[in-house]
This record gives sequence, C-alpha cells and structure tokens, in this order.
Amino acid sequence: MAARRAAILGGNRIPFARANGPYAHASNQDMLTATLDGLVARFGLQGERLGEVAAGAVLKHSKDFNLTREAVLGSRLSPRTPAYDVQQACGTGLHTVILVANKIALGQVESGIAAGVDTVSDAPIAVNEGLRRVLLDANRAKNLAGRLKALAGIRPSQLVPAAPSNSEPRTGLSMGEHQAITTAEWGITREAQDEFAVASHRNLAAAYESGFLDDLVTPFLKLSRDQNLRPDTTIERLAKLAPVFGTRSPNPTMTAGNSTPLSDGASAVLLASDEWAAEHKLPVLAHFVDAETAGVDYVHGDRKADGLLMAPVYAMPRLLERNKLTLQDFDFYEIHEAFASTVLATLAAWEDEGFCRQRLGLQAPLGAIDRARLNVSGSSLAAGHPFAATGGRIVANLAKLLHEKGSGRGLISICAAGGQGVVAILEF
Amino acid sequence: MTPADHPVRQLPASPHLAPMFARAVLSGLHRRPRDIPTDVSRHRLALTERSIDPDHLAAYQRLCGFRVSDRLPPTYLHVLSFPLAVARMNEGDFPFPLLGLVHIRNSVRQVRPVELDETVAVEVWADPVRAHPAGHQIDLLSQVTVGTETVWTETSTYLRRGKATPTAAGDRREQPQPELGTVARWRVPKEIGRQYAAVSGDCNPIHLAALPARAFGFSSAIAHGMWLKARTLAHFEGRLPEAFTAEVAFKTPVFLPSMVELAATRLDSGWRLALHDGKSIRPHLAGTISPT
Repeated sequence: MAARRAAILGGNRIPFARANGPYAHASNQDMLTATLDGLVARFGLQGERLGEVAAGAVLKHSKDFNLTREAVLGSRLSPRTPAYDVQQACGTGLHTVILVANKIALGQVESGIAAGVDTVSDAPIAVNEGLRRVLLDANRAKNLAGRLKALAGIRPSQLVPAAPSNSEPRTGLSMGEHQAITTAEWGITREAQDEFAVASHRNLAAAYESGFLDDLVTPFLKLSRDQNLRPDTTIERLAKLAPVFGTRSPNPTMTAGNSTPLSDGASAVLLASDEWAAEHKLPVLAHFVDAETAGVDYVHGDRKADGLLMAPVYAMPRLLERNKLTLQDFDFYEIHEAFASTVLATLAAWEDEGFCRQRLGLQAPLGAIDRARLNVSGSSLAAGHPFAATGGRIVANLAKLLHEKGSGRGLISICAAGGQGVVAILEF
Repeated sequence: MTPADHPVRQLPASPHLAPMFARAVLSGLHRRPRDIPTDVSRHRLALTERSIDPDHLAAYQRLCGFRVSDRLPPTYLHVLSFPLAVARMNEGDFPFPLLGLVHIRNSVRQVRPVELDETVAVEVWADPVRAHPAGHQIDLLSQVTVGTETVWTETSTYLRRGKATPTAAGDRREQPQPELGTVARWRVPKEIGRQYAAVSGDCNPIHLAALPARAFGFSSAIAHGMWLKARTLAHFEGRLPEAFTAEVAFKTPVFLPSMVELAATRLDSGWRLALHDGKSIRPHLAGTISPT
C-alpha cells in the first residue's frame, strides 16, 4: 500500500504571553482546552469523533499524566476521541504533527489534532529531593514504628521546595549558556543577532496588520496579540541592552532582545486525509511530506560542532537526501528562533564547506538560503516560545503561507533541549 | 606494588571509622612530629569475603550522581578500602598523625567492572615516605581481588606539611596546561560533607561543620575529595571504558556550599579534566581518565 500524504487543514493558537503575565493563573490544561475549543469552533468540529489528539507539554505536573485526554474531555470534541501525551522538549509540537500525519499516511486514522502547550508561570514545584526520599521510605515502612523512624529523618533544610530549572540535567548549564558557547564558536556577531531580532518583530507585526493571523489566533484572557511583540523596536534600541548569556566570555553578544523570553501559550493543528477534508468540506492548506530528527553529543562532543541546539543542522541533509531535494528548493523557511544566534549559527553551518564535508559527510556545503524567504511572518523572537506550542504555531503558519501562494514547498527546523532537533517538509 | 611476602594481618570485620577519628582527634593533635622514618612497615591489612550491600551501594550511587545499577562505580571500592587505610594510619608505627594529613592525589584503576553480586577481598598497605616540596608525602595502596583476580587498585597520596624538602624538586610534575572549556556546572550542597561522611564513614571533622573545620585552618567545612572525584566521573556516564585509570590531584578545597564547574577535553584516548570555582585559575581538582 502506497502511503498517502496527510493534509493540514489549519490551526489555532492563543496569543503567547510573557511568563507571569496575563496567563499567570492558567494551567496547561486550561490553555490546551481553550485552544482545542478554538479549533473546534473554527472548523465546526463540535461533537466530532476524531482519530486522535496528540499533544504535550515540556514543563508538566505529575498530576497531568493524562493532560491531553483531560483537555479533550473538557473540550467540545466528542469524548470518544482518544488522546495521548508526547514530550520531546521544544520539538514536542512538531513531533505531535509527525505522529498524527504518519497515522493518517498509513490509513490508521482519518483525522487528528496535533497540539502543544506550556506554561512557565504555572510551573510544577517539586518537594525537596531529600524530603521526597524520606516520605517514600516512610510509605514503604511496614508499621508505625518504621514510619516514625523514617519520618525522624526529615530535616528543616528539606522543607525548601525544589524550584523548576531550565538547565540541562547533565551539564547544569542553561540553554542560553549553551547557546553562548555555540555563538562564540561560530563567531556570530551582536549586530547580526540584533538585526535578525528586529526583522522577526517587523515580520510578525506586519502579519498581524495584514490580517494573516486572524484565522490562526483566538484571543485568550483579554490578550489578542502576542505580548512580547514590539513592532517599533529598532537595532539602536536593542544595541543598548546588556548581555545576559556568556557574560564571562571576552565578548558576550546575547541579550534579552535577541533571545526568546520565557512564555506561556498553546497551539493546535488540524490534520486529515484528503478524503476526510472533502467530506467535511474543509479546504486543504498544505500537505505534510516528511520529517527527520537528530541528536548531538553536546555533553562530551566538540564545542563548535556539537552545540546543544545544533541538531537540526544534522537532521537536514538526511531529510533532503531522502526527498531528493536541495536546501534551495523551498519557497519558505521556518527556522525556530530559540535565540537569534541559533538560526544564524545553523545557517552558517550549512554554508561552511569544511563543516559540511567533515561533520555532515557531504561533497559540498548545503549552501545559503534566500533570507527573504526565512520566517516571513515572524517567529519565536517576536511571538515568544511556549516550548511545546512552537511547533504547532509554525506548522499552521507555514501551511497558510503555502496555501496563499498556491504552490511550492516549505521547510521547518526546530531545535530542542537535550541536544535534539526536528526538521520537516510541507508542500502545497 | 609491594612484594607479596610482606605479612598480612587479617581483620575480622571492616574497622569502624568513627572511633578511629575520635581517637585521632583526642590524641593526634598532640602527637609531636618526630624524626620522620622513611622506611615504613609494609605489612598489609586485609579483609576477605566482603559482599556488597545493595542499599549502601544505591545510597552511594545516588549521592555521587551515578545511576543506581548492579555495577559498582569506579570510586565505590574506595569506600571499602578507606577504613583499612585509616586503620593502617592509626597504627603505632605510622609516621604521621591521621588528622592533619592532606589527601593530595588519588589514582584508581579499574581492571574490570565489579558487579553487586561479587564477593571481594581488600588489602591495604603503606609505601615508604617520600619528600614533597611542602613537607613529606606517603602513599596508601589498596588492592581489591575477586578470587585470585585483581580487579581494582588504588593509590592515595597524603601530604604531611612541614619543612620543605629540596630533594623533592623532581616531584613537581605540573606542566602548564592549555585552558579547558566548561562542560558542566553543579552545586555542591552544604550538607554534602555530612551526607558523604554518613555513606563513606569518612567523618573527618573538616567535612562535617564549619566549627571543627576552622580548628584545622579552613574557613568553613570542605567537600570530601573523593566525593568530588566520584561526582566528576559520574559526568562521564556511558563513556568510561571497561578498564581505565582515573587519576586526580586535589589542589584547592571546595568550601561548602559552592558552585563548581567541570572543564574537560578529549585526548587521543581518554580525557583531561579539571574542576574549577569559575573564577580562579587554580583548579580544585585536576586529572585524567586513561584507558588501560
């Protein structure tokens, strides 16, 4: 049986908010349910039993073990729609799209929703590890005396909870500190990063002005646009900001202006077979073609070639080779802006002949792309980056760009914590 | 290695460390340095038929950052050999008082990984005193066997500060090293001295609290060198060869609590590494991991 291509019918997201902003009291389940209901309203899916809903969150409470299913049960979708949770750090959102698209391609389901949500405001706080061990030991004790003996091990210092941290568990370095190493190794300048950040804000502002986002975003808790968007920001203004990452290096370049802020938000994408779309009289925006994931050895590997956020660099040539395409064969590029320098280092690596030969095993570099086709309606630097919600934002965005153009191909690249990366191709 | 014909004294059980440290606190401080005898009795203290306690192993693995598994971390057997080493250092013929000795170097050789269900025998002995630029140094050697097979050996070098001994110039093996990049950072918690003391039995007062540490000239309690070494090796999870030697020099104390940064670089075979405080050039610990 020849696999068919999954169709992308559209998406919905809530505006992304800055951490501890308007969504401070909303949980992952609140935001995901609101986003699913927005999608239901937009596509007339009330009471519809879909093939499945796949979604995930990066920062997740242990009580949310069935987050997506709970959100489905609270939504207007048929409660008979099954659901499951996925987690691949910042690759979560795109990976849910891959999973649903693959099931559609194999004929296992006819329709599905891929989604992602994250909150850093309503983040889980764990009990202190020492206290947790004592409580578990007490729970395991067979009698009262044993429990009391275990509980006697509680120390005042253990009552301080463990705060959430965005550092890599194996290195203890934050994502920004890791990226600062990559930025320095690839010689990405402050000016190039600030210029790139300004373009992201301008492009997103223009997309809002033109109404491009009207059928992609549903207001939530009085927020109707991404809170981080600064339409009037300038290179001069960004140049005044003090570096925040890599500050012990001789020439730090990464600031709050050219890095994404911690954000809250959710996004969802509706996928289906062409037949299901036709039956439901829903236009197809684009098709999902293929995807590839990769990992880098950021713990013990080379400081330049194995940067934490460099994995998409390795995934890309494998994806292109399998689909007999070159890096230049695309009308739109969506490269997730974890940091301005992440995108610039990724592009630099693909242009670097020595790197492409030695590390990617290529005869020639993948080469440069037409920057005018990159993140044309803005990306994470302007919109913000609720970790698992970024993939859905990008996929819906790119599908709509391809639909408006009426032809062509788009490329997605998303880096993720743990030294992973996800890349994917969409086609009209 | 000492010749095998040196007398071996079998111990019925692992010596208890706390009374030995208590005795050392009471008597050791008053023990006057005598003429340093360079020749030290080479007899061995030995412990046979020692099985591994799974709960103790898990506590050690957790505390040092290793996975809880059936395989002993490369530094775990030090916890078995250390009580014998302290017993040896507490014997009357040992040339230095126990307290005041500074652990300056540790080399562990894993001949092959040892598993939880194996029964090991441990032997410990002292080597002759050698000169050191800051006084005198002495090696305590350990050997762990399973049946007749040597599976693990260790050399711990201790410094007794004193008059500089000029003959020791050749012992200065430090060469200038190119700077290494930071690869990881971790917190050394305030409680780690007491926690590692509980698991390892090494209740040297300099690790337990600020007050006793001050009595020995430290501004606050300091981390155990062997915890730092274990935590450092834990960073290399999944990358350590089956047979290797991990050698480190302990250069500056880590005061509790602290943040430390690990710098490491891959060599042709193995690794060169250093633990820093992130500010000063002089590391807390520096060494190598070499396949053997």
